[in-house]
Amino acid sequence: MASTDIEYKSSSTPPPPAGVDYFKVDVILRFLLLAASVVALGVIVSSDQTEVVFFQGTLVPQPAKFKHTPAFVYFVAAFSVSGLYALVSALASIAVIQKPEFKLKFLLNFIFWDTLVLGIIASATGAAGSVAYIGLKGNSNLGWIKVCNVYDKFCRHLAGSIAVALFGSIVTVLLIWLSAFTIHSRVPK
Amino acid sequence: MEGSDYYKRSSYEVEGAESKEMGKAVSMSAYDLVMRVLAFVLTLSAAIVIAADKQTKVIPIQLSDSLPPLYVPLTAKWNQMSAILYFLVTNAIACTYGALSLVVALVNRGKSKGLWTLMTVLDAIMVALLFSGNGAAAAVGVLGYKGNSHVNWKKVCNVFDKFCGQMAVSIGVSLIGSLAFLLLVVIPVVRLHRRA
Repeated sequence: MASTDIEYKSSSTPPPPAGVDYFKVDVILRFLLLAASVVALGVIVSSDQTEVVFFQGTLVPQPAKFKHTPAFVYFVAAFSVSGLYALVSALASIAVIQKPEFKLKFLLNFIFWDTLVLGIIASATGAAGSVAYIGLKGNSNLGWIKVCNVYDKFCRHLAGSIAVALFGSIVTVLLIWLSAFTIHSRVPK
Repeated sequence: MEGSDYYKRSSYEVEGAESKEMGKAVSMSAYDLVMRVLAFVLTLSAAIVIAADKQTKVIPIQLSDSLPPLYVPLTAKWNQMSAILYFLVTNAIACTYGALSLVVALVNRGKSKGLWTLMTVLDAIMVALLFSGNGAAAAVGVLGYKGNSHVNWKKVCNVFDKFCGQMAVSIGVSLIGSLAFLLLVVIPVVRLHRRA
């Protein structure tokens, strides 16, 4: 009995967790985000394509690389950050499963960083998506010709990468929801 | 088993006072209302600024060297580009959500904890939507400002300077509005963290 009293007086943590299953789902979602970031990065980085086009008066082989457009460079940077974050937070989440007393503090930390990363990822997806859309359809009002009829592999890679990035954004939103629901179930009225 | 049950029961009892504080931190507060008003106002003004953005300029188009240039009036408006339309739509959605959530928060001052969770869930969606709209408009803006020499997309902001400037202002205002939504998700949780 004495040892239990000492234990309970020294701990200032909330009641024992009701959401152990939440943390398993949390870990799974974080690994999904890591996978999505890595796949999106890999697909867009391998998207280079060179075609012979009629460029500025002559027929020259002209490469299409993601580095040419600032939006895609930002996309790569954003998903590198998100991949690193997903890895670190997945490992932290696994570590926390074994030490239940840190759970609520970790949850609250996670929701803060998750929202930041969501902002970064969502803006990167939007930026890459809009530029890719212009590349697909062109813009007759501004005289911007479409390029996807020529650079088909490049555009396919872009489309795949952006689709995976969209999935990654949805996973991040789900992570925030999960943290919000877990806080909801822990904090009594 | 008996010992652990005793531990569970007494930790619930003593943590009651702390938990009540946490409950208060979760409930609606003045900060929450102020941020919602700010988010509503900012996204509304961003939407209005970009919707009212219009510039017409007469452009000389040289068809060939022998003929005199054709003078064509060209208009720059938000409906000419899908990315700007998307930006406008996301700001409109965020603005209506901001108004609705403000009304709901005013009516339900901290009475329901489930409402806080629902609002956090919807705030997170708004953060994602708004940031993606900002990114799309910013990418198109940079493209219009610098062009893309590799695919022969000429820059347009040297001609339509007023349009580009107004669009930049709108994107900036919308960015601050999305930061307001982000803080709405994050700050109540940070306060809970400090009290926990």
